[in-house]
Amino acid sequence: MAKEKETKTMANTVIGSSIVVDGEITGEESLTILGTVKGKIATGQAVVVEPGANVEADVEAQTVTVSGKLTGNVTAREKLELRPEAKMVGNAKAPRIVVADGAMFKGNVDMDV
Amino acid sequence: MADKETVIGLETRISGEIRGDEDLVIRGRVDGKIHLSQTLTVDKGAIVQADIDVRTLVVAGTLVGNIVASESVRLQPTARVVGSLASPRVMMEAGACYRGRVDMGDVEGARAAVASHAVGKPTTSSTTSSDAARTRPAPPRLAAPPKTAVVPAKAPPRAPTPERTTTATPAAPPAFPRVAGAASSAAPAWAKKKIRRR
Repeated sequence: MAKEKETKTMANTVIGSSIVVDGEITGEESLTILGTVKGKIATGQAVVVEPGANVEADVEAQTVTVSGKLTGNVTAREKLELRPEAKMVGNAKAPRIVVADGAMFKGNVDMDV
Repeated sequence: MADKETVIGLETRISGEIRGDEDLVIRGRVDGKIHLSQTLTVDKGAIVQADIDVRTLVVAGTLVGNIVASESVRLQPTARVVGSLASPRVMMEAGACYRGRVDMGDVEGARAAVASHAVGKPTTSSTTSSDAARTRPAPPRLAAPPKTAVVPAKAPPRAPTPERTTTATPAAPPAFPRVAGAASSAAPAWAKKKIRRR
């Protein structure tokens, strides 16, 4: 039964809350971060920075959703979303950027206008 | 939070260091170092090229690197592993491919060797390991392992003992002839090549 559950999340990568990754994460599937990532992230799908997560990395992805803490430059090909709990420091580049009430953000915004 | 176990997915590649205190499942690719206080699972199809220090290790995929597991190592039938292996309990299931040195006694010494291996290159590590074992103040874990009796249930007949103590079994496909002793920690280029092809 646990196996079935696993196969469902098969296409995803999850970095758990007590995990620290120091280096480069690349891939073609969505990435959920609850722990700590330092370095660089590049994926063709979504990146989700969950509450409590700490990311110190340049991020490149289709969509980026931040609820935790993110330090680094973000390039989203589709959309960047900062949720109310988000804390982001760095430059944001995306055609659509959503900043929710309560989110903290410091950096440049580039929407390609 | 239990539903959010850490998974390195099929299409993901990490190069660098992974540390943590929870279970980790690798289905994709990891190059570098892995240090966990829990269980590491290298799933079928996964490719890992890393020095590993974990509590328990389960391998069903491909793994190249030096392994230290403070509790146990299990190589499942689909496993292909190259590198030295230190753990008090080692289980190899029929079909698993392994080449390298197994040490079921001195986990601490191996750990020190893997740690120092981070700086130097493999060639030195076989000497360092024995040195470290010697200089270490009376490894307390060494006293413990009568457990060591819990040994490969059914090791496949060709499970290579890197030292050529077993001169018998001439039929055994010349296990890995070039490996007598020394080269155990290095993962020779040809071995990597072989694995990549898969």
